[in-house]
Amino acid sequence: MFWKVSLKQDFGTVIRNIGSFVVFGSFAVGAFYFSNFVTAYLLENVRIGLFLFHRFVGMLLFVFFITINLGNMVVSFSTLYRSPEVHFLLASPVSYLNIFTIKFLDNFFYSSGTLFMVGFAVLLGYGVYFNYPWHFYLLMMFGVLVPFMFLAACIAVVVLLLLMKLASKVNFRILIAAIVLFYVGQVYIYFKVTSPINLVQEVMKYYPYVDLYFGSLDPAGAKILPNFWVSEILYFYVSKNFGAVTGYVSLLILATAGVFIFALAIANASFYSTWITSLSLKSMTVKSFRLRTMFFAFGKQSIFSPQTEVLLKKEFWQFVREPSQWVHFVVMMALLVIFLSSVSTLNIKLESPELKAVVYLVVFIFNIFLINSIALRFGFPMMSLEGSAYWSVRSAPISPERMYWIKFGVLVALLGCMSLLIAFLSNIPYLFVRRIAAEESGILAYVTPHFAVKQLAYYSIVITPIVAVTLASMNFGFGSVYSNFVEKNPIRIASSQGATMTFLLSVVYLVILLAVYYFPTLMMFNAEVKNLPIDWSTLRIIFFIITLSSFCIAGVSHVLGVRSLQRDL
Amino acid sequence: MIELKNLTKKFGSFTAVDGVSLNISSGEFFGFLGPNGAGKTTTIKMMTGLFTPTSGQIIINGFDVVKQPLEAKSTFGYIPDHPYLYDKLTGREFIYYVGGLYKMKKEELKENAERVIDLLELASWVDNKTEDYSQGMRQRVTFAAAFVHNPKTIIIDEPMVGLDPRSARIVKDTLKQKANEGVSIFMSTHILEMVDELCDRIGIINKGKMIFLDSKENLHVHKSKLDGRLESVFLELTKETDNE
Repeated sequence: MFWKVSLKQDFGTVIRNIGSFVVFGSFAVGAFYFSNFVTAYLLENVRIGLFLFHRFVGMLLFVFFITINLGNMVVSFSTLYRSPEVHFLLASPVSYLNIFTIKFLDNFFYSSGTLFMVGFAVLLGYGVYFNYPWHFYLLMMFGVLVPFMFLAACIAVVVLLLLMKLASKVNFRILIAAIVLFYVGQVYIYFKVTSPINLVQEVMKYYPYVDLYFGSLDPAGAKILPNFWVSEILYFYVSKNFGAVTGYVSLLILATAGVFIFALAIANASFYSTWITSLSLKSMTVKSFRLRTMFFAFGKQSIFSPQTEVLLKKEFWQFVREPSQWVHFVVMMALLVIFLSSVSTLNIKLESPELKAVVYLVVFIFNIFLINSIALRFGFPMMSLEGSAYWSVRSAPISPERMYWIKFGVLVALLGCMSLLIAFLSNIPYLFVRRIAAEESGILAYVTPHFAVKQLAYYSIVITPIVAVTLASMNFGFGSVYSNFVEKNPIRIASSQGATMTFLLSVVYLVILLAVYYFPTLMMFNAEVKNLPIDWSTLRIIFFIITLSSFCIAGVSHVLGVRSLQRDL
Repeated sequence: MIELKNLTKKFGSFTAVDGVSLNISSGEFFGFLGPNGAGKTTTIKMMTGLFTPTSGQIIINGFDVVKQPLEAKSTFGYIPDHPYLYDKLTGREFIYYVGGLYKMKKEELKENAERVIDLLELASWVDNKTEDYSQGMRQRVTFAAAFVHNPKTIIIDEPMVGLDPRSARIVKDTLKQKANEGVSIFMSTHILEMVDELCDRIGIINKGKMIFLDSKENLHVHKSKLDGRLESVFLELTKETDNE
């Protein structure tokens, strides 16, 4: 009977499952090779040394930690305070602490499954480079990666509980503003204090002895952060200092256990009361701007046709009246501003063209990943958020395709403008005359960017919006294919199986893009530093390949997305 | 005017609607009955474009729903069995939203929206967000949205779900008035008294097939043969097909 039920699946489902397996498997293999290649490249070609390499890993882990932390906070808010299931459970004879624990753990494992897989594949690529034994992976997976991610989630839920506790006394909007400022400040201070460029310059003074431990260069404040502990674990494992490894692993596990117990204690004391508080926040919207009287009001005349007008207005109101949407958006925008303000004033004094190319591509790919995150978080759920009310569109005299393109237009306008701005600001150091070295010599010196580097910046400014449109298309198109009109929580939609698959596909596209874009980037920095000639025809071909493949990917995504609209509702 | 020609819908090997044919003329009030799972909602979903028929044809006010969906849809209003609305919009905004989808001009839309809000007595709460509405309030908003563009045909799936007696009375009176104005109404329901009170003609569907299709007058003949109640006719007809 079991086999009968298990095997009784339609052809489409089987194909979809095989497709998922292939995508997930390929991505894991890709992540393995990528991590292995990057480790080898940075240590053997660029020769940054073990210390710098692991400090860079630590910095990436900081961003990873903050991302998991914020993600879990927003998801926990939706699941613990907005879910009808919690509503039902609170009326049943289940203790508040049990409800909290079940929903919190469900949240964590639901949204972290793919990250575990990717994390393991990356670890494997890294470990294979160093020829580590099997128990390294066991230790890193269960002694480091899981506690590290769980710690981020525990801190998130503690902050959320405290926030909800305060919400009964302080205006919730003020609290949101405070928390946004807190996180933005945190990121700003971290990068200000750790100063990656200074660190590179300081360590490189000791070249070729860059594998040594330069712990004295680490700022004291950074040492209390979990990402620093992980960075130390990895460095000391390579250096075979297993005493230090044991110490840091114990510290990480103890800290995680401590914060988890603390979260349970707070939840035991205040989950129910904060849930009651959350009911009064239900109608929280951006009313203070008097948006009702502005042109977004349904009663106001518009320059658009009636159908376009009402679809745009509905999208707008659905967004601004859903706290989990606009709060997340505001936080992402604040982080973006911090990043761009740092990047636009970058003053890199590096000599090696390879290192210059790597720094340039790190910023470039970070921009693209940021756009991809926004496309996934806000673009993927757009069609699903039509929800059960989608009948009103399907039974109305508007073609689903028209609605599809109007909604996509909103996303692409937002991402297009944003990507152009990001690309321009992050390329400022490569476009305009910079003032340097004033603080060292007391004399003002000006550096005019090399012609080749300027050209590279122009290419990037054109390519970034093209990639942004492709990512918007992928996320929106596949969001339609995998639309789920029952799930109301946009964050859960954005972390569903379909969303994860889309994310993995987009990462494959981005890795290929990065690999292809590496050649012109290195060529331009070689021209700047070594005065090597520029092969313009290769550059044009690469630009053409990127543009054509991007449009093909976007086209396929839209064909699948539009087709999916024809299915029965 | 509604015309269904040999309408069939299959889900895999299961036939939900099996060769249903009928004609409903302008101003006619048609009651569509059937036990649970008989194929009523599937038929309505095909008529409103939510499902694609496996075979057969649906013509509403002269337009083929499959071949000319936009033209057909612009002539009817639909009230679904579950009145799902956009939670973050107010009732008034939802009415404007639907009016916009039907390409109504702003002035006409404003005027009609006020009229349906008054007609269905929504004014005291229509500017609250629909996430705070009860089932009945949601149902009344879907009625308002279906009426706002003055459709020639109204298709209703279970209209009385969650309505209090006063709201039910308002809805019934409004539907009667619409039929008198020449609007054809296709209504699926389980409430036999309502069918008896409002409908000119009745169809009963069971296991996807139309097993009874006749006028109310002829139905009275059937009723008189039993105990004079529509319920008995319904039970008798659906029981007979069960035995088949």
